[in-house]
This record gives sequence, C-alpha cells and structure tokens, in this order.
Amino acid sequence: MANEQIFVGLEIGTTKICVIVAESRADDQISILGVGETPSRGVRKGEIVDMATVTECVREAIVDAEEKTNVEIGNVWVAITGSHLRSFNNRGTHTLPHAGQIQQEDLDMVQANAKEVALPPPNTFLHTILQAYHLDGNRNVIDPLDSEGIQLEADFHIVHGIKTRITNHLRCVEELNLEIEDVVLSSLASAQVVVTQHQKDLGVLVIDIGGGTTDYLIYNDGAVRHSGVLAIGGDHITNDISVGLKLPIARAEMLKIQEGSATDPSESEVGVITLKNDPGFLGCDIDRRSLETIIHCRVKEIFELVRADIENAGGGMLGLLGAGVMITGGCAKLRGIAEVASEVFDQAVQVSTARNVGGALQTFENPQYSTAIGLTKYARLITKDAQPQGMLERITQGFGGLFKKGGR
Amino acid sequence: MSGSAPRHFLVGVGNAGVTVLDLLALNNLEMKGLLCVNNDPESLSASVVTDRLGVPEGDPSEAFLAIDGPFGDMVSGASSVVLCGGLGGESGSFLLPALAILAKSSGITVAACVGMPFSFEGKQKRELAASALEKLRTVCDAVAVIENDRLTGGSPSTAAVGEAFSLSDRTILAALQALQGMITNSGPVKITRSDIKSVLGVPGAVTLFGLGTAKGPNRLHEALEHALKSPLLTAPGKNTPGGALAGVSTVLLLLRGPADLSFAEVQVAVSEIERIAGEGCQIKTGVHADLSPDAPITLSITASSGGGQTAEKPKTTLLSEIPEAKPLEPAAQVATRAKAEPTPVADSIKPVSSAKPIKSTAGASTKGDKQSAGKQTQGTLDLDSYQRGRFDKSEPTIVAGEDLDVPTFLRKGIKLTQPHRN
Repeated sequence: MANEQIFVGLEIGTTKICVIVAESRADDQISILGVGETPSRGVRKGEIVDMATVTECVREAIVDAEEKTNVEIGNVWVAITGSHLRSFNNRGTHTLPHAGQIQQEDLDMVQANAKEVALPPPNTFLHTILQAYHLDGNRNVIDPLDSEGIQLEADFHIVHGIKTRITNHLRCVEELNLEIEDVVLSSLASAQVVVTQHQKDLGVLVIDIGGGTTDYLIYNDGAVRHSGVLAIGGDHITNDISVGLKLPIARAEMLKIQEGSATDPSESEVGVITLKNDPGFLGCDIDRRSLETIIHCRVKEIFELVRADIENAGGGMLGLLGAGVMITGGCAKLRGIAEVASEVFDQAVQVSTARNVGGALQTFENPQYSTAIGLTKYARLITKDAQPQGMLERITQGFGGLFKKGGR
Repeated sequence: MSGSAPRHFLVGVGNAGVTVLDLLALNNLEMKGLLCVNNDPESLSASVVTDRLGVPEGDPSEAFLAIDGPFGDMVSGASSVVLCGGLGGESGSFLLPALAILAKSSGITVAACVGMPFSFEGKQKRELAASALEKLRTVCDAVAVIENDRLTGGSPSTAAVGEAFSLSDRTILAALQALQGMITNSGPVKITRSDIKSVLGVPGAVTLFGLGTAKGPNRLHEALEHALKSPLLTAPGKNTPGGALAGVSTVLLLLRGPADLSFAEVQVAVSEIERIAGEGCQIKTGVHADLSPDAPITLSITASSGGGQTAEKPKTTLLSEIPEAKPLEPAAQVATRAKAEPTPVADSIKPVSSAKPIKSTAGASTKGDKQSAGKQTQGTLDLDSYQRGRFDKSEPTIVAGEDLDVPTFLRKGIKLTQPHRN
C-alpha cells in the first residue's frame, strides 16, 4: 500500500503542534507532502499540563495536515522532550556458552544486559541507542552478526524518563484513535535531518532551541554520545523581555521576532525602537541595547548550561566536535545566535535546517520544523526493509513498541 | 517539673493574645504549652485553650500578685517562653512586660510578638504601647513588632475595622509561630538564638515579617511569593513585593515542610531573598523537614530595619540586673514606670512607627546611618523584585540552585533602560 511509504511525524511543542506528512522516495530520501500546524495550548516547557486542550490542538493539526495532503492519517511518530528525560552511556557484556557464530539473540542479550541498571522507580527506558560492538577485545566491530566469538560487548546510549509523563504525552494522541509507531527523543529526530552522516562521524553537537526546551545531542564516530534537555527555550526569552521592558507577553513575542537579536549589546549601536499605540496598549520607546542585553544574557546562559552539562558528562566530548555545532529549532532564527554559540563553545557554529529532504521547500527551510521532519526521516530509517544505512543508525528498541503491544 | 511538661511555652496575654492563641489552638488541637493570661473573665472562659490564668480586676500591680506564683510554677523548667498580645490596652501593656520579667528572672529565653495599635485607636494608646514596648525590649531576647498601621497599607479608612483587627491577629499568630519555630528549631539547619537576637533585639527597629504557605510542584515559589507580598514586607508607599527588605543587614529565613523539602528549594529561597535584600545581607536559614508528607511548606521571612543602636550593649547590662531582682519588684517597677513616664519614651519610639522618617534619613545619609536607615533605599533595579512572569505558576527549572525561570539579566543584576512611554 502507498501508506507504507508515507510517514507522519507529530511534534507537540510548547509553541506549536506540527504534523509533517512525508513520503519516502526511491533515492532513499524523503519528500514532504504537507504540513499541518496549529498554535499550541496546554503545553509548558515541552510537557503537557492540560490534556484536554492539547488533545484538541493535536486533532486540529492532524485535520489540517489531512486536508492539505489528502492523506488519511492513521499512524504517527511522536517526538518527546521534557526536563524529566535523562541519559547515560552503559556497556553490556554477554559471554557465549561456547565459541560460535554470534546470533541475533546474542545481540539482544547484550542489549538487555546494558539495560540492567537501576533507574529511579518512576522512570522507564525511552531509547537504547547502540554506539559500538566489541568482540573478544576487537573494538568497534561494525556488525558482529555471524562472526565467530565468545565475549561480546556493546556500548549503548540510554535515554530514560518518567513513565507517567511520557504516557500523558502519548495519551493525547491515542485519544484521537491514532496509532503511535514509536516515540522519539526530539533532539534525536532533529539530528536526522540537520546533520549529515559525515558530520556525525566527524563529531557534531546539535542544539535544538524550541519554545519551551533546549534539546541537545552529541554525535561522534557516527554514534550518539550524549543527549540532554534543558527546560529553557524561546518562551523564556519572551518572558524576560516582558518582565524587563514591562510589556505584555504578546508584544514581547512580537518584539523578539521583529527586532530581537542575541548580539553582544556592547558591540551594537545605540537606538530606539518605537512601539505604536494599540487598543489597550500605550506605545513606548524601547532602548535597543536593553532589548539586546535581555536576549543576549539568556541565550548565552542557555549555551553555557549546555556546555556545562556536556563537560560534566566527561569524556572530553567538546574536544571531539570536528563538524562543530549545529543550531536548529524556532530560536535558531534569532539574529546573532550563532555568534553567541561560537563564543561559548569556541567552535564553528551553523544555523541548520532540514537537509536532503524534498517537497515543500519553505517547510524544510524553516528550522522550527526540524524535529517534525526529522521524525519522518527517522521513521524511514527504522522501517526500511533492508538493514538501515550502517549499523550506527540502528535503534534497537524504542518506547512505542511497548505501547503497541500493550494493546492500548 | 516532670519530663512531660512542655519545654516551650506560648503565652497569649490580654484579649488580643487570647484570640491569637485560640486561632492557633483551633488549628493545632494537640498542641501543648499554650497558656492564656487575661483580666477579662469573659475572654478567658470563651477560650479553647485549657491552661488559663485569670488576673483579678483592680490595680494591675496588685492583681499581678495573684498570678505571679502560678505563672512562675508553670514556666519553671521551661526553655523558652514566647509572649504575644496587643500593646496599648491596659492589660496587655502592663501584663506583657511584667510576665516577661518574671520569666526572664527564672533564666528562661523570653521572646515577644506584639501588635502596636492602629492610629485610629488614639494617641494615648499608642503612647502606652510605645512605653510598654520599650520595657519589653529591655527584658526580652527578641521582640517582633507588628505595626498594625502597616498591615492596612497605612489607610485604615478604607479597611473594615473588624477585618483590620482580624488581619492583625493573624499576622501576630504567623509571627508567633515563626518566632517559636526559630527558637525551638530541631534542625537539620538551625537559626541560633543569637541570630534571632541580632534581628529582633534591635531597639527602635521596625520588624519586617512575611509568611507564605503552599503545596504542589511549585510550592517554594508560591510560598515565597505569598511571603514577599505580606504587607509588612512591602516597601512603604510602593507595591513592590519584598521591597522593604532592600538593604536590610540580616534576614531570618525559616522553612518548614515535609521530608522531601529539597536542598535546591532552600537554595532558591536564599538566592531570591539575597537578590532582593542586596549584597551584604546575611541570611540565617532554619529548616525543619519533619512535617507529614502531604503537608504544605511554610516559609517565613523575618528582618528588621531602622533602629538606633545594636541590641547587645544595653541588653547585657539590663539583663544582668534582672536575675538579682525578685520577680515582684520589677513587675511593680514596670507598673509605676508605665504610668509615670509615657511621653518621653514615646518620643524615642516615634520614628519607628512611621517609615517616612527612615526614608528621609536615607537621602541625607551619614556614615553612621548607613547600617540602618540608609538601607531602606531601593536596590539596583527599579523592577518588581520578584519576577517569574508567565512561569509564575509552573514547575520551576532549577539548575545548580538557580531558578532559571527568573530572567537572566535580573539574576545577574544587570540594569536596563526602562521604556519611555509615549
């Protein structure tokens, strides 16, 4: 069926709910058929705080996408974020009873062993992402299947989060009788389209700054090495402007979009931005430097917090970013953001949108759609009949499987 | 005393004191160590507190003879006595200092939490109250003074009289509980008695006090917000929450809550108060984490501003005299002094009861003033001091003890040019 080649990515964001309908092409790329979108209500810092409202918003976005693409949506891939998500790296070890060919069950066993860690009681696994296999001391074996060996080891990047929060996120979708194919960490989804395989091999840090959260992920040697979520995003910038300049939130948001810049205010020109009178709003003159100070302070702090978290994770990962830093998400459109990141990380920084994607051009040129587009690319990689390109892309088990089998 | 006798007493004196203890007893039925002392038999008989001492009518100093023995017996062996009541009335103004002297002479830590009369209650009452307050200060280790006028925002004409008194009682109760909590604090983090003394033992100082209670994921922020919005913590003439704290030298912060009260929450409260009070403010923190798991957290902020001299010197001399004196004599002295010399005492207290003189001295601050009156000036930012904006009601994002929902520029103390309205 044609539906087998169509993937739907759903991102329930803090600012917007976005549905991307894409189809896979013969050349292994995906082509966007259309976008359904609705402003988000009931989501704060990436997490659902008002289930009924969010469900209604998701329904609107799905209907919007169906109307625009003429595709009846039944299955979706859902992105998830939130400050409750945590990650760590762990190695699993499995010794075969006697020397022989490595079978699929041995691979499963080594993964199960890697997950033999005590998570906090309310938490559950979201992703167990393979980094590398080691067979009898032979490091970084690409594909040990059918090789001879005794001692099989594997490194995994494990992402976990509070189960009830993940469940609530998904319930908004299930209420609409949509089947969830899988749940994917937002930054992992974004990374699928904003960086190339080559960059993943060289080492790259992807930072997706959305409305409510900043999601980041490090690739090195083609594998995920670290991931994190900081519950600070563009909404905080807007709020800072609103508090600092005593403006209503809507005005502050407009000012951020139209005039906002993360540039270091000491390097900017003195100027005044005039806000006109509106019904219920008394116009005023805003000092441009004050606006830039507010934004610069917040943006710089976000990057500093990301940097501190990566440094705390150890492994000297910041020194292994051969391809630098990629910034995406709605906030990537903020002027001067790359310069601030460059200063904080001391790396080459690029603002990146979805690449290697065909179809509606304006969609993938906008960094705020990276996650939703990334979901479809991720879906394409996972569901390909053949083995995914390179074993490093193989995500051995996702969270969504549990839901499908649970008969919900 | 037997082992089961309470170690800490809360004594409600006069009609206001009895009302405050009733409020407390109704919400804490099993609470021990409550005692009501009054010369109004009606008020005593209506009280829900079981331990009561009735003072016979007639000459106060003679009437006091009737209760000094029983009172001394009750509190002997106790570790602390916290007195509460309203000053200005005949009973409270006399009994509060007298009981304080009596308890102090037994070597007990004595604190008081008193309400000063509203302006509309008349000059005479205020003078009597000021005189009694001075006596209390010389005896007590700590005195929290609730200025009733400040509770109604200085405009009692618009506040219903009944509501104003009820607010005063509730505030005295909150301060009483905070004071007792600080004195009896069993940890894990304690405010020492000398800390309390350094804040509430300053003669002539205005007590700044706020209390907030909240539950749920955002409990710390909500409790902090309530506390900062307390009328006594609002800068005079401004609506800035916590504004009155700007520039104070010491703040007593007491947090009580269930065992899951986190270090991060304590740290957020401390850094928020630090930000408002300004650099150089010492924050003495007390934490009780022994309440039941579903209990709300209670946060109290106590500080004092103004006041002429430090507490220690006059107090040590006076206190050293008291143990030698027999319980009766100082009580009698109090009674005579209260009647004989109210006016000069009232003069010395006057600047305390109004915030305005303090502000004006701030403008023309001399070096000597800087420690006290000069600290009433605004902080570095002319912004509302407590600002989380749209994140006010959401679960806070706390990283390394910092509340990241508070704008970065505010946390870093960066000054902005305010918009110019057309």
